[in-house]
Amino acid sequence: MAVETEPDEGHVAAVAVRTPAGARRERVLVVALTVALAALVVVPLLSTDQAQSAGLPEVVDRYAFRVATIVAMFVVISAAWNLIGGLAGYPAFGNVVYFGIGAYAVAVLVTRYHWSFAGGLVGAVIVPAAFAGLIGIPLLRLRGHYFAVASLGVAVAVGEVINNLDYFGGASGIFMPIVRSDLLFYYLMLGAALLAVAITWVVLRSRFGYGLIAIREDESAAAVMGVNTTLYKIAAYALSAALTGLAGGIYAQWNVFVNQDVAFNIDVSIDSILMALLGGIGTIWGPVLGAVVLEFLIQTFAGRGDLAVVTQIGLGLLLTVAVIFLPRGVVDFFGGRSSLGLTYVKRTLRESGV
Amino acid sequence: MNWGEQIVLGLLLGGVYVAVGLGFSLVWGVLNIVNLAYGAMVMVGGYLTWLLFVHGGIDPFVGLPIDVVVLFGIGYALQYVVINRVVRAPFLYTFLITFGLDLIIVNALLLVFKPDFRSVTTWYSGAAFAVGPVLVPYIRLWSLLAAWALAAVMWWILNRTRTGDAIQAVGADRDAAQLVGISLRRTYALTFGLGAACAGVAGALIATFQAITPTAGEPYTLQAFVVVILGGLGRVSATVVGGMMFGLVEVLAQSAPHLGAGYQNAIAFGVLVLVLLLRPQGLLGRTL
Repeated sequence: MAVETEPDEGHVAAVAVRTPAGARRERVLVVALTVALAALVVVPLLSTDQAQSAGLPEVVDRYAFRVATIVAMFVVISAAWNLIGGLAGYPAFGNVVYFGIGAYAVAVLVTRYHWSFAGGLVGAVIVPAAFAGLIGIPLLRLRGHYFAVASLGVAVAVGEVINNLDYFGGASGIFMPIVRSDLLFYYLMLGAALLAVAITWVVLRSRFGYGLIAIREDESAAAVMGVNTTLYKIAAYALSAALTGLAGGIYAQWNVFVNQDVAFNIDVSIDSILMALLGGIGTIWGPVLGAVVLEFLIQTFAGRGDLAVVTQIGLGLLLTVAVIFLPRGVVDFFGGRSSLGLTYVKRTLRESGV
Repeated sequence: MNWGEQIVLGLLLGGVYVAVGLGFSLVWGVLNIVNLAYGAMVMVGGYLTWLLFVHGGIDPFVGLPIDVVVLFGIGYALQYVVINRVVRAPFLYTFLITFGLDLIIVNALLLVFKPDFRSVTTWYSGAAFAVGPVLVPYIRLWSLLAAWALAAVMWWILNRTRTGDAIQAVGADRDAAQLVGISLRRTYALTFGLGAACAGVAGALIATFQAITPTAGEPYTLQAFVVVILGGLGRVSATVVGGMMFGLVEVLAQSAPHLGAGYQNAIAFGVLVLVLLLRPQGLLGRTL
């Protein structure tokens, strides 16, 4: 079996080639990331009451870091989707089901069984992963459109069943005891986001990650070359579910209340895919970049009534335009390896249009 | 529980699902596009019918040709201008672009018509005739007949006209079709236009018995998908069988004990999974 040596540009930036220029770029990247991370950790501390009364400058207001918490949440969900959708090439359209299961796991464990929130979070990781492992067995036998819609169907069906069962509070949902600390939830989401990025980084450099990419490029060939495709796919799906569930669990306690609309909102799935797509599917930083950019746009233009409707139309237009002109995301567009601008767009159109 | 009545109701509902499934199946089979904006296009047909009825006094069944022409035009333009740009891209992209179109259409409807319920109530809406113990509403029966007529017209176009030959050729082998001089752009646009026209008819039929809102089309996308999977992809007859079967299954499942209208989507999904696992090519489908 001949190994394809030409890098599949745009799809994966799996291995950075170790040239001197590459090493320099990597060092710059590490420094920039460290600074950014330090800022993300320290800046919100300046907004606390203690810091304010000590006369420190308030860099961001509380609203801003609520937005930052949401962005971090979408980084987690989008990066988690990237594992199954971007690396393994299985376009899961219903990953919100794991967000919902994670959210309900925390809600049920905390209110019915009086677990601590931390204990609930463990449940929010394990329950979605176990569910994904089970449902993944029949689901991941499907490919393409069939898998996409079946996974969407799982999300709709599970949401509906939970909404109809009294055990889960039925249509009126579940209220949890209030934990009053926006800072705590910010750090939890930030931690989860870092974890998601770190996991992507590790996976992309592992045998597991190469196996997933092989499955995406040609599943039969991957099987012939000795990749246990069923196991790899289910593992990727369960990992994706665990991360998504973690985000859901944190969100549930932050929001204090869960019901079908909060926990199983299909828009969460779609937004997270759009983020990965905008940033660059199959890359480490694509989902992060996409989440920051898109959530910034949504928050900037969010409004009530007609304005909210117009925002949705704008989102639809953005999605349409992004798919047509930048199908490999901004990471690829500005990645330096492909020609920028008009040539890039023209090539994209020539490759995918008629 | 009156089984006879349930079966009649199921078959009548099945007619609507036939209309819903026809366009979805055509576009999927020929263009390999799962059109997530399909439900939104169904609602465009519904609102058009409502506009014609309320402001023009045109009966929903008489207005069907207008629905067909307008929706065909919209579909043709959408495909020619937008979707043709990505039709050869991996399916994730066509999936996402139709979702983008769905967002645009649904929210444009919201902007224009507001989220209020709109209904088309004709002078014969409440009338029914009795077959033994079973009451059959006239309007549902005419919907069923209209859906069958649509299926017949679609079958005729696809199997007895040169346009249909071109569409089938493109569906079978894009490159070979191009070699014999078929224009891909035009044929794709025609196909999508025909699919949209079916959505328009489905919307008109739905508006006669259900109050419509801009978001009321959403479930019909999933249901269209289930109908196509159930019957099998790529043939008009398969969609007719799939639609009728799905109508029956839904009505019977909802009347089962412990299940109610709250489980509509769960039932659709259950059917979907069962068929995919047991008979992935559909009841009447060709072997994949």
